[in-house]
Amino acid sequence: MINVLYLDDELHNLTAFRAAFRRDFHVHVTTEPTEAVRILREQPIEVIISDQKMPTLSGVEFFELIMPDFPDPIRMLLTGHADIDAVIDAINKGQIYKYIAKPWNESELKAMVNEAAMLFHERKAVSDQGAVLLHRMQEARTMALMIQRATGQASGLDADQTAEINRHAAEINRLLAD
Amino acid sequence: MDESLSNRSVLFRYCRIAAVLVVLFSSFSVHAQKFIGTRLEHLPADYNLSLLEVEVVAESEDWVSFEQLVPNLGMGEGVEWMRLTLDPMTENGKLIEIQNAGIDDLTCFMVCDGKIIASYPGGIMNTGGDGHQFGTYPSFPVPLVECNELHALFRMQSNKPMIVPLRIAGPRKVLEDAHQRDVLFALYAGVMLVMLLYNLFLFLSIGDRSYLEYVLFIFAVGGTQLVLNGYGFIFGADQLPWLNLRLTHLFGVFSGLTTIVFVRNFLRLSRYVPWLNKLLNVYFLFYLLALLLAVVGRLEWSYQLINFCAAGTFLIIPGTIITMRKGYSPAKYFLLAFTVFIFAVVIFVLKDAGVIPYNAWTFYALPMGSAIEVVVLSLALASRINQLKRESVQAREEQLRVSQLNEQMVREQNSVLEERVAKRTSALESANSNIQNTLDELQSAQQQLVQSEKLASIGQLTAGIAHELNNPINFVASSAQSLRRDFEDLTQVIEKVKGMDPMDPGLKEEMIQLKEMFGSLDIEFTQREIEELLNGIEDGTKRTSEIVKGLRIFSRMDGDNFTMAQINELLESTLIVLRSNLKDHAVVEADMGADLPLVSCQPGRLNQVFMNIITNASQSMEDSGLAVEERIVRISSKTVESIGQSWIEVRIKDHGVGMTEAVKAQIFDPFFTTKAVGEGTGLGLSIVMGILSDHNAEVDVDTEEGVGTEFIIRFPL
Repeated sequence: MINVLYLDDELHNLTAFRAAFRRDFHVHVTTEPTEAVRILREQPIEVIISDQKMPTLSGVEFFELIMPDFPDPIRMLLTGHADIDAVIDAINKGQIYKYIAKPWNESELKAMVNEAAMLFHERKAVSDQGAVLLHRMQEARTMALMIQRATGQASGLDADQTAEINRHAAEINRLLAD
Repeated sequence: MDESLSNRSVLFRYCRIAAVLVVLFSSFSVHAQKFIGTRLEHLPADYNLSLLEVEVVAESEDWVSFEQLVPNLGMGEGVEWMRLTLDPMTENGKLIEIQNAGIDDLTCFMVCDGKIIASYPGGIMNTGGDGHQFGTYPSFPVPLVECNELHALFRMQSNKPMIVPLRIAGPRKVLEDAHQRDVLFALYAGVMLVMLLYNLFLFLSIGDRSYLEYVLFIFAVGGTQLVLNGYGFIFGADQLPWLNLRLTHLFGVFSGLTTIVFVRNFLRLSRYVPWLNKLLNVYFLFYLLALLLAVVGRLEWSYQLINFCAAGTFLIIPGTIITMRKGYSPAKYFLLAFTVFIFAVVIFVLKDAGVIPYNAWTFYALPMGSAIEVVVLSLALASRINQLKRESVQAREEQLRVSQLNEQMVREQNSVLEERVAKRTSALESANSNIQNTLDELQSAQQQLVQSEKLASIGQLTAGIAHELNNPINFVASSAQSLRRDFEDLTQVIEKVKGMDPMDPGLKEEMIQLKEMFGSLDIEFTQREIEELLNGIEDGTKRTSEIVKGLRIFSRMDGDNFTMAQINELLESTLIVLRSNLKDHAVVEADMGADLPLVSCQPGRLNQVFMNIITNASQSMEDSGLAVEERIVRISSKTVESIGQSWIEVRIKDHGVGMTEAVKAQIFDPFFTTKAVGEGTGLGLSIVMGILSDHNAEVDVDTEEGVGTEFIIRFPL
């Protein structure tokens, strides 16, 4: 089940959201930004939905706040207020993935959350693959060093063979860096 | 009787009289007089003639002959002597006659062989009582004596020129001539008298001043002629030597003055020949001076002055011609009259100067001339009267014409004026309609501005209200869908329960299944959720209806009509509408007075007022650096008593930036704004002011820069 966090100052919205999506997602709701941060820390949240218009801080501000610590969850902004400047700004800065207008359409919202979760997982997969590659590269590099060292000890290798080996090692490094 | 006809008959009469005069005059013998000036002798100028005694003169041998037939001995205080040698044989018994009645003092001595045998007094000084004279001229009889040498010595002194037309004639002849002269002068006097009386009568009947002047003129001119010819006694002057001596002068002055007065008036010199008019004034003064000289005894100077002035008569000719040229027809007669007279004067003078012979024609030239003058002047006067009549008729016609013209002009002027007035009126009307148009445009522009301000504030509100409405609508709609699903879960349970039969032995089994269903469907949770959702729906609908109610109050359709309304209700509805706008910016603390009376107001417009002021209050704290919780807008309402009247007082206070005095003075001015371009119309508070003044409300603004602003509004009850 997808873990969704929904932040809104309006309690009834939280209730309605949970009632609507509890059968499909693992829903976490709160009215307090601090509580939201706690949930983020404790739960594997995949999608964050925040109301834009809140008394203490706006949705965009909340996203900015959590970005450094929790960059991975997909962020979506929910607002009934056409605060278009904030939305444009947020999209441009890459802080939000989708903008949802109140009142929400349940099935659309559900689809969006699913898409966002998919995106989350794709990114996660890429990121995991990257980690595997990194690991292998490190191993390769270690191996290359070991080979280099062994060859040096053997000192039977000519200069061309050494250059060939170094070139391969550099190639591996470049690919890993990409 | 026709005027012109009567004038014409007068003219005919004058013509007849003139004709008779000429015929009569022609019937007299007009043979040349035989003056014997060349036989006369005088003493040379080196003698002191005044002191000489007659005896000395008689013995004198220094006699010098005259060359003229009519000698002129001049005039003055000096005495002149003259000797006439007589032929005792042929001339005794005859008369020596000096045909000059103007010699003041004249004595004739008869000297026979050196002895004075007789003396005869004569001249003006010696008239009266003496019967030696035949007629008006001094005459002296040549004595019947036997002498070898017989002389007549004349001692003469006069203040008039001593012209000596001397002749020797038989007494019969002298008497005849004197008689003839008397008759002629009587005729002359008669003519003058007739003219005088006639014109006097005209003056009395017509009243025209010029007739009186003419009468005086006739008297003066006629009198002058008579006096010059020795008929002064008819004025009784012979009894008054003093007067007698000056009679010529006086008549000269008199005729000069009357001529000036008559001519001036007759020729209308002041109008036609102003320069002559002025010149005649000078002559008038000269005549008065001559009169004065005559009175004080300077007779010689007086005579010279009179002569000098009389020469001025010539000026009348050009004056008359000028007048005639200017279209004054009576001047024609006048010209004729004066030409005749001056012609006569010229003849007279030339005769005296010896240029032309001294005969009856020349002698009578002056009286004849003056008679003709007087007659013709009469005609001139008649013509003048006619002219005056014509002129007065013309003047009347002219007046009539002018008045008709004036009337016509007035009519035209009136129509022009009416036209102008009409033009002006239409111009004014068009200007008026232009002004009305401009006014309408202005009003419509104003309405548009007011409307746009309204729309701006409505737009400002819309976003907030949309959010306000969106939240409840969102969760109500969503909750309803969720409720349906929860209900479906419950329905499953209910259906299960419905299908259970108490008699069924497998009931226990079914109960167990039901329990499992409870667990799998999490019915307890669902129950709680349903309750929460229902609470949300209730709350949502309540809030929605509250907002809608607030909006309705806020923008009531009858908001521009005066109705009785509760101020607190208006404030609250405004706050509802503003809630979402204010929520993130300021906190509202309201202290509404209880039981406030209703106020007659335009609720919709008052909402606009409150909204504007509250929004301003909230915005004034944006930049104050205060936290949202500290940005307090304090709104209060209460009833107050002031100046004997009840008011509802609404105070709206903030802790914002406040205003300077300069800003405060302008806040109600249209288009004044402290906001950035495009953020405010500058019309908000000016509209507020307009609305409040429509409510007769008082507005006080209590502000201090950096401290805050309080609006105090009092509505009269």
